[in-house]
Amino acid sequence: MTLPHPLLKLDQVRRHRAGRPAVERLSLTLDRGQILGLLGVNGAGKSTTLAMIAGALKPDEGRIELDGQDFATHPALARGLLGWLPERAPHWPELTVLEHLQAHARLRGLRAGGLKQACESTIERLELAPLLRRLAGVLSQGQRQRLGLACALLHKPRLLVLDEPANALDPVQVAALRKVIREEAAAGAAVILSTHLLAETTAVCDRVAILHEGRLRHDAALDGDHAALEHTFFEIAMNGKDQAA
Amino acid sequence: MSSMGSVARLELRRLLVRPLAWVLAALTLAQLAWRFVLLLGNFLDNQVKLAGTPGAPGYTDLVGIPLLGSTLTMGILPFGLTELALLVVPLLTMSTLAGDRANGTLPLLASSGTSPAAIVLGKYFAVLLWLLGWLALTVAMPLSLAHGTHMDSGKLAATVLGLALTLAALGAIGVACSAFASLPAVAATASLTLGLALFTANLAAQKAGVGNGVWNWLSLSTHLEALLRGLVSSADLVWFALVIVIALALAIRRVATDKERG
Repeated sequence: MTLPHPLLKLDQVRRHRAGRPAVERLSLTLDRGQILGLLGVNGAGKSTTLAMIAGALKPDEGRIELDGQDFATHPALARGLLGWLPERAPHWPELTVLEHLQAHARLRGLRAGGLKQACESTIERLELAPLLRRLAGVLSQGQRQRLGLACALLHKPRLLVLDEPANALDPVQVAALRKVIREEAAAGAAVILSTHLLAETTAVCDRVAILHEGRLRHDAALDGDHAALEHTFFEIAMNGKDQAA
Repeated sequence: MSSMGSVARLELRRLLVRPLAWVLAALTLAQLAWRFVLLLGNFLDNQVKLAGTPGAPGYTDLVGIPLLGSTLTMGILPFGLTELALLVVPLLTMSTLAGDRANGTLPLLASSGTSPAAIVLGKYFAVLLWLLGWLALTVAMPLSLAHGTHMDSGKLAATVLGLALTLAALGAIGVACSAFASLPAVAATASLTLGLALFTANLAAQKAGVGNGVWNWLSLSTHLEALLRGLVSSADLVWFALVIVIALALAIRRVATDKERG
């Protein structure tokens, strides 16, 4: 059965930041179970795009739809539907890992038994048990990334937005991250992850979009051909060529 | 409502685990306890003289109320709770929103579907709860001798109401300053300056012998003074409500525009 609308739809979205266009007339859709890799060099507009999808930034123009509803007029949709790991995994340094998980669960509307169960399963899944009593402010960057990912996953979101999730993770943790992303997609969640690492995209994504200077230059299914993707990426990054599929 | 409660709980937890709130509470309560002992000593020294004077002020006027405010009650010692609040509230509120903005956690709250109003009000109520606890511990000092003295409970209640409203107004101003500032230190400075300006707005008018007019109406001390005298008027209550509502509305507006500013 085909659902009438995609889980995420961006329609002609524009956004200026620091006086320059950061995202220009971006349109894309994402269906349930898809893993979209958002590629681009630094400053391409990836983080701005993800912040708009997560509801932390408003587009200057255009429309974002979540589950068929306008996100601008229904911002509370984010509560149950969306999990976001921003770049650098922001945290409250004075709170412990467990307090972070509990606070995020409450913010997502989980209470009592549901909250406890969500925290326990996420702790087990991301192997956070040894860190529970540690203050977030003293965690390493990799540990903070794991905490941020845990906070994004706690409430079982249907759309997972990950901004540079593999930052500062060691190879074992990167493998665990890829496993989590695949599991989420297999469970029906849509995942959008931004990265500037081609290997990260080819390892886990089934579709890739390349942003350059705020514009979508390439959007196609990933066929596993790393060399072809690398060629396309460098063509766009160095020469700014459009490669829209 | 539930998201506001979640934000309030989170903010209260952050307040309770930070050393700043505990240090502020310990130092100010120690200072207030010392002030209470000195005021009580002075009251006991003059008890014989006071007993012979018809209509002389009692324990409430000479100990209870001066403990809470010195400038307005012309107490014998400086720095009652009112004056300390001018310094304590900015320090307590400076990180509420400016700290989240500096940490990058404010967008996280926004992306959890929590409205700007729930974010601001949740943080405000957490700070207010701490401030009311601080006020309760201070008021407990004069109340601890209530069984052995003739306490004017109506007057003390009006004073406590005045102090609670003052703390609520200063807290709202502090949260608003934190909403507009990018750094907590800037928020604290702005909040302290605004609090002092609001407190002393009528000084020049009073020195010129003007007892009414716009500067007197604007000043926090005009409205608090009436309550410290035991006079509860709806005009004063409306003034406090106006300050709180305006400050919080500005803070909500500023947090809402964060999504547009980026």
